[in-house]
Amino acid sequence: MNMEKVISGFFIILALTLNFGFFYGDPTVLEQHNRYELFAAIIINLIATIYKLGDKTQLGAVLLATSLVADIQLIGAASIWALGEYVTGLNAEAVTAIISFSGGALLANVVSVILFTGDVLKSKR
Amino acid sequence: MLENNSLYLIIKRMRTPMYVLVVTFAISILGMVMIPGQDDQGRPYHLTFFDAFYFVSYMATTIGFGESPYEFTYPQRLWVGFCIYLTVIGWFYAIGSIISLVQDKVLAAQIAFAQFQKKVKNMEESFIIFVGYNSMTRTIIDRLSKEGIRSVVIEKNEEKIKVLALEDYAVEVPALAGDIRDPKIFKIAGIHKKNCHAVVSLFNEDVMNLHVALSAKLMNRHVMVVVEATEEEYAQNLKTIGADIVENPFKIVAKRVYLSLKSPSLLMLEQWLYGDPLVLRKKDKLPREGKYIVCGYGRMGRALEIGLKRAGIDYIFIEASPEKARKAKRGEKVIIGDADDKKILLKADVQEASCIIAATKDDLLNLSIIMAAKRINPDIYTVARENHINDSVVFKAAKIDRVIMIETLMINKTYNILARPLADRFIRLMTYRGEEWGEKVVNLLKTHIGNNPETMETVVDEDHAYALVRHIKDTGEEIPYSVLYRRRDDWRKENQMLILYIRRGEQEILLPKPTEPVKIGDELLIAGSKEVFEDVEYIMENIYELYYVMKGRACELSLSCKLSLDF
Repeated sequence: MNMEKVISGFFIILALTLNFGFFYGDPTVLEQHNRYELFAAIIINLIATIYKLGDKTQLGAVLLATSLVADIQLIGAASIWALGEYVTGLNAEAVTAIISFSGGALLANVVSVILFTGDVLKSKR
Repeated sequence: MLENNSLYLIIKRMRTPMYVLVVTFAISILGMVMIPGQDDQGRPYHLTFFDAFYFVSYMATTIGFGESPYEFTYPQRLWVGFCIYLTVIGWFYAIGSIISLVQDKVLAAQIAFAQFQKKVKNMEESFIIFVGYNSMTRTIIDRLSKEGIRSVVIEKNEEKIKVLALEDYAVEVPALAGDIRDPKIFKIAGIHKKNCHAVVSLFNEDVMNLHVALSAKLMNRHVMVVVEATEEEYAQNLKTIGADIVENPFKIVAKRVYLSLKSPSLLMLEQWLYGDPLVLRKKDKLPREGKYIVCGYGRMGRALEIGLKRAGIDYIFIEASPEKARKAKRGEKVIIGDADDKKILLKADVQEASCIIAATKDDLLNLSIIMAAKRINPDIYTVARENHINDSVVFKAAKIDRVIMIETLMINKTYNILARPLADRFIRLMTYRGEEWGEKVVNLLKTHIGNNPETMETVVDEDHAYALVRHIKDTGEEIPYSVLYRRRDDWRKENQMLILYIRRGEQEILLPKPTEPVKIGDELLIAGSKEVFEDVEYIMENIYELYYVMKGRACELSLSCKLSLDF
């Protein structure tokens, strides 16, 4: 058992599950989406990103790219939320934007997990 | 990927500080959101994530705008008190890591390495790779840079590279810290590039030079390899592996001693082409009669043996090491003992000898030999070998008749090979011509030009002689070299110059007649002065100047030219 694989796998998959947890629910009803869950998703995504930094392989580069995409999408969602709450008001447009942004991040996280499991399956041991 | 090494190094080192920052921020923000506070009306409320993020951001960076959006309650302040230490420590840790990274030697080396690679990659002119940076290569690089020839240095010692960086060269000299035992180093220094002209290695140890020559030739067999070899077996090895030029400073010394005894004009020419004035000073005149005492039967001693024997001079050796003395051929006179010992000198009949040559590799020993010999025989002609340029002050003070500086010889020889290949070839060719021929050339130079002529090397091709090449190609007419002698202001007068040597492929012409026709591709060695060279260059390159010196009148402008001039 490789401890490094456990940790990296843990963060990559946790980033996906938290992201999914936030995304799941009616996209027009903000009450069905937990703000703490979004916060946790952002933090775990950031940690996963740092974990992927400094890997010089081709796969490492693609994994880093997907992680960066997820970060930008989630931070975008949080920014829209803050903007909606304090500036424009949380109308239906803002709410759907928050959820769809997190949906985009979810897609990036799915790609990341597929790449990660693919790499694990490819190695012989 | 090598260029990215420094970037990866930074990222890898910054990972832990980044984790610390993210985790401390996350804990602080989460705590701020969860702990209930009171607004200005006393109603309970929770900070939103944005409020918490905003507050923690300015708290952690110690900017501190105060408590917002409302004043905090005591439970909140308790948490903030804890967070201040948590986040500020995390933040300082990150900044401290960045600063220590900037000072990191590994990173600095990586950055310097990347910069070196970039410089070599972008170099478009032809350049020369020097292996080892010392007083010799420093002077050669300096002289080459004045000619606009670029150099690249590979040096093991990083301190020396720092010294190089302080040097004020006319062109930039990229330097790489690295051991040449690693073959990759040559590749990084650009040996495989088309414009890599030569690899130069002038180590004192022949083994190192052999190593350099071998790896250089294996990496790129088209590159010219110039190495120093003072031992005969190494010289042979170097020639077999294909080193183009193998220099032996002691052979030059021996040749000069021979020339000074047998054909002083050739010596004068040789020294002039190495950069000295065209005169024979008193110190160059060795006594032609009497016995010579040579101290030291090492590399220089053996070379001198050949030179003196050819000149028919009676000589005797003094050598301290019995081992070296045993190498002498049968019949050679070798006294074993310390040469600065009075008894040994008397045994070699120093009181009757005409000349003493101190040729050991120890500068101080050479000086003390000269002093001891002078005390016994004040009239003796003294010759001393100086190994290090730094010792020149002492040697000057000792009033020695002739000082042979090995390093200076090597500098001049290498410079000639790299920047004045025709002069170098000319020196080799003239040796076969004999004293009479040499005297003729010296007289020609002195009467035509003066005591200190300069030399120029050029090629008849599109780049250097546009007008000449175009004229020959267009008209097919033969132009004699006498055209180049004519002056630009008055075509009937002649410039004070002399074409010494033409190389035309395999054919080599020494002192060509003025009627010799110009051929495309000719390489010329010309003696003259700077002003004269300017005339020659103009005549070769400018069609109007060429027309004038050929026909004696200004070139008529063509109709189209005239039309465009009217506007």
